[in-house]
Formats: sequence, structure tokens, C-alpha cells
Amino acid sequence: MTRLSVSVARHLQADGREFRLDVAFDSDADVTILFGPSGAGKTLTLHAIAGLLRPDRGTIRLGEQLLFDRARRVDVPTRQRGIGFVFQDYALFPHLTVAQNIAFARSRGWMQARGMDTADRQLLESFDLAACADACPAQLSGGQRQRVALARALAAAPRLLLLDEPFAALDAPLRERLRGELLALQRSRGVPMVVITHDPDDVAALGGRVIQLHEGQVRTPP
Amino acid sequence: MPAAALTPLLLTLKVALFATLLATLFGVLFARTLGRKRSVARDVAESLLTLPLVLPPTVLGYYLLVVLGRNGVIGSWLLDHFGITLIFTWQGAVIAAAIAAFPLILRSARAAFADVDASLEQAARTLGLREGAVFFRITLPLAWRGVLAGALLAFARAMGEFGATLMVAGSLPGRTQTLALAIYDAVMAGDDARAAMLVWISLLVAIVVLLIAARLLQRRRP
Amino acid sequence: MQAFRRRRFVALSLAAALATAPAVAADLTVSAASSLANAFADLGHAFEVAHPGDRVVLNLAASDVLLRQIEQGAPADVFASADETTMDRAAATKSIDPATRRDFAGNTLVLIVAAAARVPKALDELAGPGYPHIAIGNPESVPAGRYARQGLVDAKLWDALQPQLVPTQNVRQALDYVARGEAQAGFVYATDAAVLKDKVRVALVVPTATPVRYPIAVTAASAHAQLARSFVEFAASADAQAVLGRHGFASVAR
Repeated sequence: MTRLSVSVARHLQADGREFRLDVAFDSDADVTILFGPSGAGKTLTLHAIAGLLRPDRGTIRLGEQLLFDRARRVDVPTRQRGIGFVFQDYALFPHLTVAQNIAFARSRGWMQARGMDTADRQLLESFDLAACADACPAQLSGGQRQRVALARALAAAPRLLLLDEPFAALDAPLRERLRGELLALQRSRGVPMVVITHDPDDVAALGGRVIQLHEGQVRTPP
Repeated sequence: MPAAALTPLLLTLKVALFATLLATLFGVLFARTLGRKRSVARDVAESLLTLPLVLPPTVLGYYLLVVLGRNGVIGSWLLDHFGITLIFTWQGAVIAAAIAAFPLILRSARAAFADVDASLEQAARTLGLREGAVFFRITLPLAWRGVLAGALLAFARAMGEFGATLMVAGSLPGRTQTLALAIYDAVMAGDDARAAMLVWISLLVAIVVLLIAARLLQRRRP
Repeated sequence: MQAFRRRRFVALSLAAALATAPAVAADLTVSAASSLANAFADLGHAFEVAHPGDRVVLNLAASDVLLRQIEQGAPADVFASADETTMDRAAATKSIDPATRRDFAGNTLVLIVAAAARVPKALDELAGPGYPHIAIGNPESVPAGRYARQGLVDAKLWDALQPQLVPTQNVRQALDYVARGEAQAGFVYATDAAVLKDKVRVALVVPTATPVRYPIAVTAASAHAQLARSFVEFAASADAQAVLGRHGFASVAR
């Protein structure tokens, strides 16, 4: 059980509009759900955890490691946090094939690694993507893209996986199927997940710890 | 083509090519450094770097002559440490043309980099890549068309460079007398026949460059 | 009604009178060789004082370049070149009024080096290692370059010095390159060397088979022929010769 402790605040201003994010919660559940309407600050919170957004103040801790502490000037860069991220629009690299997307993290240098190693190939198989390994993301269906995004994030062996509205762009039967697959995945790999959703059906299906966000703040007690 | 016209043509192509490579290298570097964020400091920096575009070529040429000459800050250093003189050499012409063309690449590259979907770069970071790797494996491959368009503009500008080149490199036949300078000298000497021939050659080269540009920038159908 | 009409009539005739009146304030465009820059600035001022209301506009460049401009229709009124060859060509292309042509100044061609540099004693020292760049006006378009070429050909050095020669757009550019140290030696007129006497030093006088003479003439297409003729006569006058003498030009009686 890896405990995730988040306590951050951030003030944003754009086009004359303001937004104040002020969230605090702890969770050591396998699946933590950030639930709330659009604009509640769920994505911002996830970005803060991943290091893609720098809070104005607060702390973020994952297990034993302090990822962020404004007061003590600690801010571990994203690449060192070991946190996988599945973006809302999947952010698949359009100039790389499915296989290359999944194998992306195998090389951290300036050159893409050639081919796939065993672990990556296993991911390709288990996500049912072997047939389209050489296809480009533009040629895939929504469901396939989501699986590639998941496989890619998992290929980097993260300690924590963040998913931003993973089922939003999919139709109902696909959503149902993928929820089940995600749960199975979590159980088999043991990677804790934080999932964003505004769909109560997702909450019901995934279970886990639910944290409600509304207008930048947490509703239920931590 | 008579030898008299071949020499300035080859020289022009050589100078323009090296100047474009130099300008592209620095243009990409500075565009990367300036980044996507817009701030007063960055905009001021970009304006200063764009100065060669708005300065009259003779002013640019004068300052280059002063700085790169024997008694100049850079010129004297080069002379003392490496025995290198740049004035009256084709290398000097390359520098003059590169500086004149640099702003064109800077702007194109910065715009092209900013056009790359930020979430793609963020995804690469979550997968463990350092900034340099993100740039080479994600940003640059996705922005290459914009950079290339800028480089072609720069090449055209470098081919036509006159004022600054004349001051820094002189118009030495066979060594620094590019097409533009050769045309000028021919007109001033009253040799209209030679001037006309050189003009036709310049036109031909310009058309060929534009055709190549059109091909390179054509979108490949997936 | 009548008063109004009369006022309109007066206004109209005034306008007509002004339009057809002889040009009260004329701009005289003088295209002069670069080496005449300083001297002609003074002569221009003096001429303006003597002809109140008229202005002398100087157009300076290498003589050949000026002639090209005139041939292509540039509105110059007076043409002063640094050698007879260019003026001969001007006469051949009917760009000047040959009746107004006269010599008005003379000059000498000199070899200069930077003020702090070693002074060569003879032209053939230029073939040695210390002169990687020698500034010379482009002989195809600059009279000073032609004089220098003639001098070098006569000294049998023209071919040997080819790799070191840096052709310039006009004689003043050659002067600048030597003053700046980019060229280790250069061929300019004695009058040019005097302009930058703290930056360059005259090494020797270059003998030229053709003496350096400056002819001046009224252009064929001048719109101010009368005034232009006055300027040409002025250039040959004793007062102007004194000014030219102060700048180092030799007096020419022709």
C-alpha cells in the first residue's frame, strides 16, 4: 500500500477569470477516484501530483518520498517522480507507431530504442494490440488509443498511475468493458491508481476511495 | 554556362548553404531557450535577436566590420588565438549572411515549437525523459516542417545578402563575390550583358529553391 | 459680387505668376567623384553664399557609377570625374555638354599604410609577406583603381599582386580599410590620405603615366543649365582653386 498525501494550493488567472485550487487528501487505497463536475479542479490536482503543475504552496508525498514541499523548496522533476499519466486525449505520439509509443520509455536518451523488449511485447499482447503494432495512432479507434496510452504508461513501471477521464471519449458498452479491464489490470499489476471522472457509473464500477472535488476544494473529509 | 558566371554561382550557393546551417543551428537553439512561455523578458530578448531583420544591411555590415575586424572585440581574439581573419573571406560572408537570416529561423522555429501539443511533451516527461530528450524526440520531429520553412526563407535571404556582405567580405572575384555582388559590380562597370546573364541565373536558382521547398513541405498523405 | 470676382482674379493671376516665374530657389545636383567629397562640400557652401536661394546637392560615388546614373537618366546637373577616360565616355554617350568641359583640379596617387605601420620604401615590397590585403579601387568602376593598376602594370607587379588585391567600391572605401587595419596598404589620392592624416601615412607617391586630372562639365539633360554653367566656371575660378588647394588638390590651368 503506497500512501499518497496531497495538500496543495494554487491560484490561476487567465483572461480575467480566476481559479483557486486548494485541495488536501490522503489515500492508501488501490483505486482513488477524484470525482466532481467539470471545472472542479480535478485535472489540475492530477497535474500537480505528476509535477506538471507547480503549486503555490503545500506538500505532496508518495510513500516514503517527498515529491513536493514549497516551504522546503523541494520539487522533484516530473521525470523522476515515477508517476504514469494517461491524458484525457491520450497524448499519443503521432509520429511514432503503436509499438514505438509503448516502447518509448525504454530509452531515456535522445534516440528512440530499436524494437521492443520482452516486457513491452507482453504489454502489447495483453492489451490486444499486437495486430496494430505498426499502425500510427491516427489509424486507431478510440478504444485502441486508450489501451495504447495505458500500455505506454505502464511500460515505464510507474509506482502510481494517474488517469484523466479515461473513459470519457468512449461509448457505453466500451466503457463498461474497459472499466472491468482497468480493475483487472490494477489487481494484476498492483499499481495504485488515481482516476478522474465525472460519471457516477464509473465510481460505482471502480469502487475504491472517492474524493469529491467542487470548485477547487475537497468536499468529503480526508 | 561560362566560367565567369559559374564561379559566383557556386560561391553564392556555398555561402548561402553554410549561412543557413549556422543560422538554423542558432535559431533552433534560441527558439528552444525562449520556449513557449511569453513574458516581457522573453519578448524583449526575441526583439533584440530580431534586430538584424530591421537594421539596414549597411548598418549591420558596419557593426560586423567593427566587431569582427582586426581591432574588434571578436576579431582581435580570433586573430590572437587562432590566427583567423574573417574580413575579406568567404567565412566572413557566411557570418554576415547567417546573422541577417537568423531572425527568420528564430521566429519560424519558435512558432513551430509552440504549435506542438504541450501534452505530448508532458507525456514524454512522465515517461522519464529529460528536457533535451523531449526536445529531440518529440518537439523537433513534430515541428520540423515549420523549422524547414524558416530555413528555406533563411536560405533565400542568405543568397540575396548584399549590404552587410559587401562591407565585411568585400567583393573579391572568385573569393567573396557572390551573385548579388557580381551583378552590382557588372552594372557599375557598365557591363550590362554580364549583369543580365547573372540576373537570369539568380532567377533560375530562386525558382529551383522554391520548387524544392514546395516538394519538401508537401504533406504526405497517410 | 464684383469685389469677390476681382479678389478671385487676383488670386489666380498670383498663382499663375508664381508658376511661370523663373525658379527662385533651385537645387543644383552635382555628381562628383568620391575623392572630391570634402573639397566640394566647401565649394558647395561658397557657391550657395554667392547665389542666395540656390542649393548645391552633392551626389558622391565612384566616377563610373555616377556616369551610369547619368546615362540612365539621373537628374544631375554637373558631373565632375576623377579621370579623363570617364568624361570621354560621357562625351561619347552624349551625357554632357562638351562645350562646357574643362579640367579644374589635379591630384597624385599615393600608397598608404596605417599610421603605426612600417613604411615600405618601394612598390615591390608589397609582394612580400606583410601585405595580405592591399586595398585598391575596382579598376572597372573607380578611376583611382585604374591609375593604380596602370602604376602596378608599369612596375610589373600587377599579376604578382592579384591574390592580395581587395577591390573597393570607391577610393574612400580603400582609405577606410587601411585606416581600420583590415588592409595593410592601399592606393588612394594624396588628398584622401590628408583627410585621415592621423590614421594613415603616405608611404610613397605612385607614378602614373597618365597624370591625375579632374574634368568637370554640365550634363546634357540638366534642367538648370545656366546655373550649372556658373558652377563649372566657379570651380575653375581663383577662389575655388584656393579652396581646392587647401584640400591638397593641384591647380590646373586649362
